[in-house]
This record gives sequence, C-alpha cells and structure tokens, in this order.
Amino acid sequence: MNKKVFTLYLFVGPHLILFAVFIFLPTIFGIYASFTHWNLMNNPVWAGLDNYKTILFDSGSTFHTQFLNGLKNTFIFVVLSVPLLIVIPLLIAVALEHKKVKFKGVIQSILYIPGLISVSAAALIWLLIFNKQLGITGNVFGSTVAWPANQPYAWIIILVLSVWGGVGGNMIIYRASINGVAQDLYEAAAIDGAGPLRKFISVTLPSIRFPLIYTFVMTTAASFNVFAQPLMMTKGGPRQSTQVLMMDIRQLAFGSGESIAGMASAMAVLLGLVILVISALQYYVMNRNAS
Amino acid sequence: MKRTLSISLILALMVTALLTGCSSGSSKTITFWTPLTGDDGAYMDQLVKDYNATNPEYKVKHIVTSDMYTKISTVMNTGKGVPDLAIIHADRVPGFVKQGLLEPMTNILASQPEIKQENYLPQAWSTGTIDGTQYTVPLDIHSNVMYYNKDLLKKYNAESFLDDNVVTIDEMLSLKGKLDEGDYVVNDALIGWVMLAELQNEGGDVEKDGKPTVDTPEMKKAYEEVKKIADAGLMTPFGEDGYLMFQGGHVLFSTDGTWSSTAHAKVQGLNFGVTNVYSTTADKFTNRASSHLFAMLKNDKRTDEKEQGIGKFLEFIRENSIEWAKAGQIVASNKVNQSPEFKNYMQSFFTSNEQEIQSLHIYTYEYYPYVAEAVDKYSADIIRGNVDLDETLKTMQKYVEDKIAEAGKGTK
Repeated sequence: MNKKVFTLYLFVGPHLILFAVFIFLPTIFGIYASFTHWNLMNNPVWAGLDNYKTILFDSGSTFHTQFLNGLKNTFIFVVLSVPLLIVIPLLIAVALEHKKVKFKGVIQSILYIPGLISVSAAALIWLLIFNKQLGITGNVFGSTVAWPANQPYAWIIILVLSVWGGVGGNMIIYRASINGVAQDLYEAAAIDGAGPLRKFISVTLPSIRFPLIYTFVMTTAASFNVFAQPLMMTKGGPRQSTQVLMMDIRQLAFGSGESIAGMASAMAVLLGLVILVISALQYYVMNRNAS
Repeated sequence: MKRTLSISLILALMVTALLTGCSSGSSKTITFWTPLTGDDGAYMDQLVKDYNATNPEYKVKHIVTSDMYTKISTVMNTGKGVPDLAIIHADRVPGFVKQGLLEPMTNILASQPEIKQENYLPQAWSTGTIDGTQYTVPLDIHSNVMYYNKDLLKKYNAESFLDDNVVTIDEMLSLKGKLDEGDYVVNDALIGWVMLAELQNEGGDVEKDGKPTVDTPEMKKAYEEVKKIADAGLMTPFGEDGYLMFQGGHVLFSTDGTWSSTAHAKVQGLNFGVTNVYSTTADKFTNRASSHLFAMLKNDKRTDEKEQGIGKFLEFIRENSIEWAKAGQIVASNKVNQSPEFKNYMQSFFTSNEQEIQSLHIYTYEYYPYVAEAVDKYSADIIRGNVDLDETLKTMQKYVEDKIAEAGKGTK
C-alpha cells in the first residue's frame, strides 16, 4: 500500500513542486505584498488596506486614474478579442472538416505557427505592414492613416496581431473535439433532414460544449492579461487609450524609478479578482445552459 | 529497479548542473553584469576579452543581463548571486545610494591613482558623487543628439543652419512651405529627451529644493516652442516611424541617440552628420544625456583582493576603451576621448570643445526617472495638440508627486 502511495506521489510530485514554487507561493507573496508599501529592495512595510483604498476610492490619485483607465482599456480588449478568438478558430475548424478541403495538415500548421512566434518580433513585422510609408496598407490599399496613432485603428492593429497569433491554439482544440463527435449523430441528423447549418448548431456545438467552455474561459483570462501587443504596437497611445492595466502594473513595479511594488501588487490582485469572478460566471452560465 | 536508479541519477545530474549554473563563479573571477544587449554587448565582450588576455590575477566574466534591474532587486534581497561589478545607468545612482545598495569606490580610488575626476568627463564623474563619496566610475556618456541629412540641407539651402552649431526652432520654421511633399524638417525620435533638453534651454529644471517641478512656466514654454514645429507640419506625422523616415532620406534632422550613428552608417546613400539637438533659443543648447557607470553592489563576500582586481580592470578600461567608441558612445575617459583615434568617430563632435562637453546634460535628481516617465508618456500627445497643455502639465506634476509620495512609504 505504502509503495503504491509513494508511486502516486512520484507521478504528481514534480507538478506539485513546480506549482508550489512558481505559482502558489508567488501568488501568496503577491497578495501579501499588496497590503504593503514595498520598493523591492527594502523590507515591505505593512500598509493594511491603504493601497486598495487609494486605487478604488481616492479619485484624486494618479493610481486611481491609472487603474480605471487601464481596466477600461483591458475590458475593451477582452470584449473585442475574445469573440474573435472563439468564432474564427471554430469556423476554420469546421471548414477544415469538409471533405473537399485538401492539405488540412498544412493549413492547420500554417495557422498554428504564428502562435509560436514571439509577440515582439511579430509586432515589428505587423507595424511595418501597417506603416503608412512603407507598408502594404499605405501602398496597396491607399490608406493615409497612421494606424498606431489614431483610433479605432490602434485597436484594430492590436486585434489583428492578437487574432493572428491566437487563432491556432483554439483551432487545434476545436478540430480535435470535432473529430471526436460520433459520425452516427450526423447521419441521424441527415436522415431527419438537417442541413449543414442545423447539423452545426444541433450536433457539433452541443457535442463540443466542454472544449468550448474551456477555451472561452482560458481565452478570456489570457486576454485580461494582455500586455505585449499594445506595448509594442501603440505604446499605450494615442492619449492613453490603449494603455492596458498590465502595462501600468509593470511600470509601477519595474519602471526605471524606485519600485512601487506594493501598489502594483494591489492592482494585480484586483485584476486577478476580476478574472476570477468573470471566469467563474462564464463557467457557471455556460455549464448551466449546456446541461 | 535499474531503470528507477538510472532515472534518479539523471535527475540528480540535471539538478547539479542547474545549481552549478546558479553559482557566481570561482573566487578568482570578477562577475560583471551589464544590461548591454545587442552590438553594445559584443563591444563590451571584446573589451573584457582584451583585458583577460593580459592575464590578470582576477579575470572578468561578462554576463549580459537583460532585465538587469529586476534581477538586481532579486539578488539584493536574497544576498545570493550578487555580481562583483555591474554597469548601471546614471539615473539609478541617487536611488541606489539612498537605498544603500552601492559600495563606495573608495578603496579602488585609493589603489588606482589615475581613476580620478580630472581623467573623466566632468558630469560623467560627478553623477556618481553623492555627499562627497564616489560610488561609480564612468564608462561613457550617451546622449540625445541631432543627425542631419547633408544632401537635404543642401537641397533646401539650409546648410547655414549649422554655422553656429545651434539649429533654432525659428530656423526650422523658416522652411515652412518650402519642402517637397513627403519631406519633413525633423522627426520626433526620443521626443521626451528633446523636451528635457528644451527645459534646460528655457532655464528650467526638473526639481527645486528636492521637489519635482514639471508644471512650470519653463516647461510650458518648452512644449509651446516644440509644438510650433508640429503645428507648421514640419515634424514627421504622429504615429509614423520618423527614425526610418530619416534613414529613408525624407527628413532633414533626426533627434535620436549617439548610439544610432552605427545604424545610420549602414544605410546606403545616407549622407549624414551630427550636431546639437535644436534649441528654442540661439543663446543656449543642451543635449540630454545619460551615462553607463561601473558600480559595485553591496556584497559582504567581495574580498579586498577582488576589489583590487576590479580596480585594475577599471584602469584598463580607462586606458583602452576606444573599442567602446565603436558602439557610438562618447567614451568618458579623457585619455581616450582626447586621443587622435577618437576623432575618427562622429561623436567626438561632443568633446571637441568645452562648450560641447558642457552641453551634455545628465539629470541627477533622485526622482528624475519618474519625471522622465511622465514626460515620455505625455509629450507626443501634447506636441501634436491632442491634449490640453495646461491640464496635462498638471496631470504630469501630480503623476510625479504621487509616485514620489508612494515610493517614500516603501523606504520607511
């Protein structure tokens, strides 16, 4: 019996250790830091709820303004990007199931590869594509707009980069789950006179509801943590309209001046809570509807 | 069983290898961290290699550490893996000294008589002097400068702008209506640095009696003056890559850094020179600069003998850092920057006379990084008229004050 328990721990152990060292303990410490004033160098000074009060209620404070603006912009990104990152991969995955589509593996690889490229490198390429003087948008399509400096174009280029890099991951999950749907369900639906759209709505979607819930929740959480795309594409501009919360958090904790890590941690905890609540809601609503 | 044993052995080996990688090297090695990535790192590698070729007792191990300041906070907190020597930026010195992170250079200065103020560019040296104690030894000054396209200056008959080495905003404005479509007078590269230079030209500063001064008449005037260039349509359009447009031969002046000269030189057909950043007035010019400085982070394990070894390395750098000029930087050692060889480098313009040397302005205010953050964040929108100037200056002032107040709470 002991040997069996030991074997179990042996299998789960490495994950537990990595989880504890890289996720659990830092999270606990991050939450602790959010209740302190801390410059990363000296010992944290206990501050109670000061940071939270400032961020949430002190309307005259820069940190309050930064937080609200950052959170608003993060929400905008989430609302715009998540539907695209669910619907587009789903449509591609369904389209690839069609008998007449050839080179499915090649197409899947081509769509997946952008997700492996570093966001910074991809951003530089996309910035050149959208460059008014040198890029395709200016020279081929005759666009006269400086995309990173004008809205809504600034959001568009951020979304293009995010969707381009993010489509492949979800698509693979959808393809795998669609492949697992029993063919007799489709055959039965066909006998009942269902067309392609009805099959998709009444057979495919219900059959892959768990992968859908999973990708929906995970994509939303990932989108709330958006950082590199706006940093590289617009640097938060124009007029701070693409300055997302993670950019403020990073600048507070790791900017060029003395670190304000306590306040940054409080912002991070609040963002974490928002993600937690929204993910739980999503899971609850989707799971209830599915069942 | 055998299999379990071999897996355990492999794991043990891997862990050992990992831990070995974490150690800071042998006692006869000077661990040297720099944030110098890319070509800069390669030039520093060469300098270190040259030094190690002299067979010193303490060899130097150069470790390019991207995100170095974050790592410094980690190692200083744990006290483990603290490098023996590091290169830090000028604006970090006051904060680091206040937080007690830096070891004074006193022993090194005592053992290396040539490492002294008179042998370095004055502001590069004095940046590391806090309350009479020397905490750093300078490697270079890297500055915001203004490159000009010789062919375009000739084409638009603007070569006379360079006569007194001060290109004024009025001179730039005189080109209004005279440029071909798609050509511009100046770009907005490093515009935050430009603004902090204009602030000096207007007689302002970022602090008074230790308090930040962002929302001031001088700052307002500086913005109003620079905004005139954008309003006249002479600045490269907002959101476009003015740096690339200069390299593409469509912009007369580019206000980027000394370090860009190497990149500009690689552009075929770009016939360029360098001068001071434009000024709001003909009477004064300023080039906002920073400096790479050698510093020793506090570390009880660093022996006196190793400090002597570091001193020898710094003396070698003082005598031989011409290699660093290749990176486009203004070498701080007078022995190098006054050598005939240094004259071959474009940036020698800024050490060509006393006035030029004085124009290289390094801000040493303890909270300067917060001011710079605010200026970087808001300058582009102010200059393009996207936001109200008065209101934004108030926001910037508050931004800096709030950060200072919050930082103060963390050091009690």
